[in-house]
Amino acid sequence: MNLKKSRNIRSSSSCLDGIGRQDGESKRKRKMAEITQALNATPVNVATLRRMAISEGGLITDEIRCKVWPRLLNVPVENIPEKLDEVNRENDKDYNQVLLDVQRSLRRFPPGMPDEQRMGLQEELIDIILRVLQNNPQLHYYQGYHDIVVTFLLVLGERLATALVEKLSTHHLRDFMDPTMDNTKHILNYLMPIIERVNPEVYECMQQAEVGTIFALSWLITWFGHVLSDFRHVVRLYDFFLACHPLMPIYFAAVIVLYREEEVLECECDMAMMHHLLSQIPQDLPYETLISRAGDLFVQFPPSELAKGVTQECTQQTAASTFTDFGLASAQQRPDTVLRHRRREQQQQQKNGNAVDPQRGTVAVFRPGARRLVRLAVMGITVALGAAALAVVNSALEWAPKLDLQFL
Amino acid sequence: MESSLEFSSSLTSSTLPPPRTRIFKIIVIGDSGVGKTCLTYRFCAGKFPDKTEATIGVDFREKVIEIDGEKIKVQLWDTAGQERFRKSMVQHYYRNVHAVVFVYDVTSAASFRSLPAWIEECRQHALGHEVPRILVGNKCDLRHAAQVSTEVAQQFADAHSMPLFETSAKSPQGGSNDSDHVEAIFMTVAHKLKSQKPLMLSQPANTVTLRGRDQEEEEQRGSWGCGCWRS
Ligand SMILES: Nc1nc2c(ncn2[C@@H]2O[C@H](COP(=O)(O)OP(=O)(O)OP(=O)(O)O)[C@@H](O)[C@H]2O)c(=O)[nH]1
Ligand SMILES: [Mg+2]
Repeated sequence: MNLKKSRNIRSSSSCLDGIGRQDGESKRKRKMAEITQALNATPVNVATLRRMAISEGGLITDEIRCKVWPRLLNVPVENIPEKLDEVNRENDKDYNQVLLDVQRSLRRFPPGMPDEQRMGLQEELIDIILRVLQNNPQLHYYQGYHDIVVTFLLVLGERLATALVEKLSTHHLRDFMDPTMDNTKHILNYLMPIIERVNPEVYECMQQAEVGTIFALSWLITWFGHVLSDFRHVVRLYDFFLACHPLMPIYFAAVIVLYREEEVLECECDMAMMHHLLSQIPQDLPYETLISRAGDLFVQFPPSELAKGVTQECTQQTAASTFTDFGLASAQQRPDTVLRHRRREQQQQQKNGNAVDPQRGTVAVFRPGARRLVRLAVMGITVALGAAALAVVNSALEWAPKLDLQFL
Repeated sequence: MESSLEFSSSLTSSTLPPPRTRIFKIIVIGDSGVGKTCLTYRFCAGKFPDKTEATIGVDFREKVIEIDGEKIKVQLWDTAGQERFRKSMVQHYYRNVHAVVFVYDVTSAASFRSLPAWIEECRQHALGHEVPRILVGNKCDLRHAAQVSTEVAQQFADAHSMPLFETSAKSPQGGSNDSDHVEAIFMTVAHKLKSQKPLMLSQPANTVTLRGRDQEEEEQRGSWGCGCWRS
């Protein structure tokens, strides 16, 4: 199996992603030019790349993704070694499970792909997973991890995929890879409150059915890779998630449930029926609309409740570089950490007797240092393409206090 | 998994049951890869799935059956096998379960050795001996590769007062008749639940006292004979 072959698996098919044909073509060209410009800027304009990844159509082609995804994850491509580490399959504690899951992952590969090519890719898939796990003994394999890795493999090829998956696993996916799934469960607990805020009726209906949140488990821990059959939709979502806060998949999950409002309300009030209804994702979802809605929700109901005024103030700023500090920010960026931090913050404020805004529950207090970092992080994202892009602004706000605690 | 397809076909092919249809809720547990998804799919859709995927969390399948003229909904909860999903994730689905199906793979000694842990898991979720339980050894079509003998499995089943069934989700047409053995296994459980009366199996061994879960059946007692049905 040579890399070249696997690299070209699907780049041609994804050219029209999400953008209508006619004025779509000129839009697409404009967007591609903008992406190229951002990539060629010194330093690379990551803020623009984020915006491009979020806005309509995402990153358009796999060729572009190969260049932009590493930037979104702050992985320096030049430093990736040419030769990948050897993988020792014998005596690997995860090998059996990984093999079993990869063998059953046929649906993740393009339907027309020759068996031989697919089998080669499956071997690479196993190697990437084992390599990352062997390099990071603190990470634990979970069923569904392979659904994420296969997406990176198909888009990027083995070498790049290894580097990006490693970064992703130690950041966005870190909570899912704990020894237990307690933190994952905790993140899932975030789903219902979002639904409640937007549509109390749907919330009530789901609560009465006692449906729980496990129907969304595979969505969350595979970034929807396990449940969407059209690979173009999967990569489009990955563009979005890679550009956003690590909790964004839970917002997207909420948006899907809310989009199906009528079905939920009509559903028999029964755990099994509700679970079944919700766990079957319709394949014809209007992804672009849902993505921008998820962004809106994130803005409206951010995981940690920071003062609104700061957002406005920050959007006045402009600058050349933005998320160059992503590496720093993400050190504290595990989704569950964000939530825990938020709780602590609330407790702290209650203790301190800070004024509590009855509308929002809490009021954030900024220290000057945090503010500076917020600005640093938010700069460049001022010309929001829509609410979804604003989500990034908020993500930046989310990260700021952590930076504050850790680095100032 | 083609679970949406399979589900809708099972819904449309059988007319929707009247509101008061009884529901039997059965949870299927066992190590990853033993064939839980294939078995439940086989029962609900009547065939071996051409592709399965790892089960993440819990999948739900159901089938409406008829016993003695009564329509009954059999709900199967197909759970994830990987250990990390057991503790915090699947919990919710142990509630109000009427019966438990333990599955191991006859070609995997490890999956058989895990059974005590699965039994313990059930116990922790307050599913005691009053809930009918059966043991299924799957992949019997791979006899040549078998690592778990019928004798050993039978001993284990006896010790835990469960009937043992050896079968194959892939080619369950075994024995003298050509009825679907997997279907027969789940139907046996359904019959058991419906009657909550002694079941006559081929080789009665231990018996265990059962208590019906429904209020009106509270006083009825029956025994769950043990035996081995082979395909
Ligand atoms: N030969 C044979 N193979 C089987 C049989 N049942 C299942 N398999 C195969 O065993 C593998 C695992 O089957 P699944 O049904 O996905 O296993 P599972 O228990 O649901 O696994 P998890 O979802 O990971 O917990 C698949 O590749 C199936 O094709 C059987 O009766 N005979
Ligand atoms: Mg399964």
